[in-house]
Amino acid sequence: MNPQLKGVEKLAGTYLFDLATSAKALRLNRFLHGLTFAANRTLFKDKPEAAFDKAGLSAEERRMVRELDWAALMRYGASFFCLEKLGRVKGVSNPEMVAGFRGESLEEFLKTRNVPGAR
Amino acid sequence: MAEILGGIGTSHVPTIGGAYDRNKQNDPDWAPLFRGYEPVKQWLAEKTPDVLVFFYNDHATTFFFDHYPTFALGVSAEYPIADEGLGPRAVPPLKGHAGLARHMADALVNDEFDLTVFQERPLDHGCNSPLSLLWPHAPDWPGALVPIEINVLQHPIPTPARCWKLGQAVRRSVLSYPEDLKVVIVGTGGLSHQMNGERAGFNNEKWDRKFLDLIARDPRKLVAMRHADYIRLGGTEGAEEIMWLAMRGALSPRARKIHQSYYLPMTTAMAVALFEEPQAKPASKKR
Repeated sequence: MNPQLKGVEKLAGTYLFDLATSAKALRLNRFLHGLTFAANRTLFKDKPEAAFDKAGLSAEERRMVRELDWAALMRYGASFFCLEKLGRVKGVSNPEMVAGFRGESLEEFLKTRNVPGAR
Repeated sequence: MAEILGGIGTSHVPTIGGAYDRNKQNDPDWAPLFRGYEPVKQWLAEKTPDVLVFFYNDHATTFFFDHYPTFALGVSAEYPIADEGLGPRAVPPLKGHAGLARHMADALVNDEFDLTVFQERPLDHGCNSPLSLLWPHAPDWPGALVPIEINVLQHPIPTPARCWKLGQAVRRSVLSYPEDLKVVIVGTGGLSHQMNGERAGFNNEKWDRKFLDLIARDPRKLVAMRHADYIRLGGTEGAEEIMWLAMRGALSPRARKIHQSYYLPMTTAMAVALFEEPQAKPASKKR
C-alpha cells in the first residue's frame, strides 16, 4: 500500500490508475496509445477487426472499444489519457466522455457546468 | 551567469490550445480565459527570457506505461509537436536549449536527482497547450524550452515533497550555468478536475483558491500534504498540482505573486499565476 494514497479508497466513483490497474489493462492501453500513430488510425478506421487482431484484444476489450462504452472501459482499467486518443479518433469530446463515466447524457452533464458552450 | 526572473503556474488542459487554434479569443465563452493570460504574455514579452524550464506531464503520448519515467529531462535542441490522435497541432516545433539542459543533467545527477534524459521526443499538450497563450509563435517561438516530465498518471507518482526538492535542485542547477541566460520556470497542470469514474467532473473552487493563495504565501503547507489530500480536495487529476510545487521550489522565498486568473467553464479549473523574483526589477543589471 502506498501511504500517499491512504484514504483514497473511501472516495466513491474514483478509479486510481496504479501499477495493478496498469498491468491488468496494459494490452488495451497499448492499443489506445497506438492511435497516436497515423498508420494505426487508418487501419482502425478502415478495418477495425484487423486493428484489434494486431493488438491481440480480447472479445470484451473489442466490444468496449467498438461500442465506445466509456464507463466500462474506465472500470476495466483504461487510462483516461489513452481513452482521450480514441475520443479524438472517433470525434468524441472530453465532456461527452466524462458524461459517459457519470452515466449521464452529454446534455445532462452540460447542465451541471458553468459555461456549457466552452467546448 | 544564468538568472531566474520568475515563475509561472498554469493549467495545461488541451482545450486551452484548442480554443487558441480555433481563434476563440473573442468568443464570450472563452474570452475570460484569454484575458487572464494577457498580463503573463505581456510580462514575458517585456522580460524576454531565453529559456522556459517547463515542468509538465506527458499524457501517455510520448511515453507509455511499459516504460514510464518518474522524472525525465529533455536535453535536445528541438522537440516535435506530438500527435495525440488528430495529427500534430499546426504550431512550429519547440526549440530546446541543449547547453543549459546538459549542464542541468550533470548538476542534477551530482545533486542526487538521477533522472531519465530524453532527446527529440515529441511534447504533447502538457507543454504546448498553455504555451500558445504565453508566447507568440509566428514565425517561430521566441525562445527555447527545457522540458522536465513528471509522472502524475501512474501511481506511485513522486511525492509533493520530492517535487518541491526537485524544484530546489533545478534552481541550483540553473543558477550554476556559466552563460548569461534569462530563465523563467513554468509549472503546469490542475487545478481541480477528475477525469475518471462517476466522480468525473468534480471541481472545488474553494480549494483551488486556497491553493493559489498557499502556493504564493505558504507553499510548505502544500508540500506537507499527501496525494490523498490533493485527490480528495481537487480530484484525481488535481494531483497534477505537484508540478506547481516543483516550479515554486525553484523560486526564491522572496518571489512575489504579481498576477493570477481563475476560470472554471467546463471540467477543468483553468488557472494561471505569475511570480516575479526581486532581482528581475528593471535596471538591476549584472553585478
